[in-house]
Amino acid sequence: MLIREEGKGEYFKVDPDGFRAFVRENKPRATVSKLMSEREAVEKFVRDGDYLAYDCNYFQRGPSSLMREVIRQRKKRLWVCGKFTYVACALLVEAGCADRVDIGFIGFGPWISRAVREGRCKFFEYSNAIMTLRLKAGAMGVPFLPARSFGATSGFEYSGCKLVTDPYTDQPILLVPALNPDVSLIHVHQADEYGNARVFGTGIAHQECALASKRVILSTEEIISTDEIRRDPGRNSIPHFVVDAVVHAPFGAYPGTVQGYYASDPEGIIEAMGAMFRGDFRDYLQKHVYSIGSHAECLEKLVGAQKLADVRRRETIREGYGI
Amino acid sequence: MSTPAVNFSEREFVIVQVSRLLEAKCIYWVGGGGEPLASVLLAKRTRVPELQYLTEDGVVAPEALVPFDPLMTMVASRANYRALQWGTMNYAADIAHLGYVDYGILNTLQVDRYGNINSTVVGKYEGGEGRRFGGPGGADSIAALAWRTILITDQHKRKFVEKVDFISSPGFVDGPGARQKRGLAAGGGPWRVYSPWAMFGYGQDCQLMLQAVAPYVTVDQVLDEMSFKPKMAKKIAPLEPPTEEELLILRTQIDVGGQVTDRGRWIELKDGKYRFAE
Repeated sequence: MLIREEGKGEYFKVDPDGFRAFVRENKPRATVSKLMSEREAVEKFVRDGDYLAYDCNYFQRGPSSLMREVIRQRKKRLWVCGKFTYVACALLVEAGCADRVDIGFIGFGPWISRAVREGRCKFFEYSNAIMTLRLKAGAMGVPFLPARSFGATSGFEYSGCKLVTDPYTDQPILLVPALNPDVSLIHVHQADEYGNARVFGTGIAHQECALASKRVILSTEEIISTDEIRRDPGRNSIPHFVVDAVVHAPFGAYPGTVQGYYASDPEGIIEAMGAMFRGDFRDYLQKHVYSIGSHAECLEKLVGAQKLADVRRRETIREGYGI
Repeated sequence: MSTPAVNFSEREFVIVQVSRLLEAKCIYWVGGGGEPLASVLLAKRTRVPELQYLTEDGVVAPEALVPFDPLMTMVASRANYRALQWGTMNYAADIAHLGYVDYGILNTLQVDRYGNINSTVVGKYEGGEGRRFGGPGGADSIAALAWRTILITDQHKRKFVEKVDFISSPGFVDGPGARQKRGLAAGGGPWRVYSPWAMFGYGQDCQLMLQAVAPYVTVDQVLDEMSFKPKMAKKIAPLEPPTEEELLILRTQIDVGGQVTDRGRWIELKDGKYRFAE
């Protein structure tokens, strides 16, 4: 295939055979309980230097409590999939956990340019849907997929994409490299203890993320029985055998929303956004991460029962969310 | 019942202009929030209740329950209420790849002669010297895959530039045929650019063309707030002011907190003429 042009961005290694071999050796097929605490899950499955993906973000059905745990454990040199993101990448980079970010969209502010100038983080350019397509390729076990976007951007030059001649139509076409993250963090509405999971409402790429990643940590609002899972199989989008850890985390997306379960906390969101726009996360991290031992403690001491009741009460829409 | 408004902001003006373009027979892919989404919601609540749109999270034709909490424009129950379908981002991109998206509606930080969109960096990209922004998000897919793109930006010299500092999402790149050479589908590209002061279109040469101006500015004022001279339509039309009915819905139902519209200058009708308020 004729390569017409290539981006010069470093990209995470594409290795579909390596992934298959990893699955063969390491992924649990048996239905064994994977219930564990967030501390144990992150200790076991997030390693320094990993490529880390998350679904959605810190404000919208994202694994916010798991992200805080990653920061609390002071993981290092993570390479992060920064799609559809307001503050998650800023938190991870400013806390010293991440030093590479693939950008689809990330919440901006002085922190980005400063991290580049100080050599603390490298950024590579994509778009949101190009990143989810990379995950889709990863989830299909193929090395790349074509797309009819992104080839006409400046971001292309700083990406791992290639512009080639399509062997079928003879036209130029963009190829995106498959992405198989070392680990992904996904927050879901319901899961059983084995990791069979349900997401209600729209999502960004939870299924692609789960299938494409070597290790998958789920946090879930509710633990339900496998019998319940089997009652309505059409609602299940993640099968247990791709999942490595199941963390029971009610309000796990806090300060964000989980559609149908609870609204966002505008105060908590503005606090995080404010830190990002100021470019100073020290107070935020101290208050929400380092001075707190666990998500349960965060809810109890920092957020409080009153606020939790309030975000539940403000989420008035129930249709479609399995309740 | 349509009474020309006596007071409105620049943002309200531009939202109303875009909302008036929207039709029931088309499908729109709307950038997440801001003026693009406000335009769509306004159209749905005024002329076109059956209007269909997608956002990046793969929601298909919702009947959103406004207002939203801050930033809750996607993957949120009110924004996605009573949709025809709930999908994911790849699903939205698939629909657009297939050619079902007639129009994309987007905000941009900077736009140039060929309608290229910059939402990544103002100034130099390399070395972290420039002022960095969030990246294309979903806009690259929208700008590449919708049949036509409607852009919204402010009328400032630094926003209308000869060549954007960074193409985050493509317009016509550098002229006719350039998109296809870069792997994009045939057809597609920018169609309109709206600022609070003016409306621009594109000719066969893929270059920005001034077509209409707001009633409170002159053509010269618009040109003074551009870093390059656009092509000029043979006749520059006037843009019609908002109506009181449109503003009432925008203010009381859609942007109640003023998150989107409470910016820019204020315009008033005085002695039969629109002008900037003192």
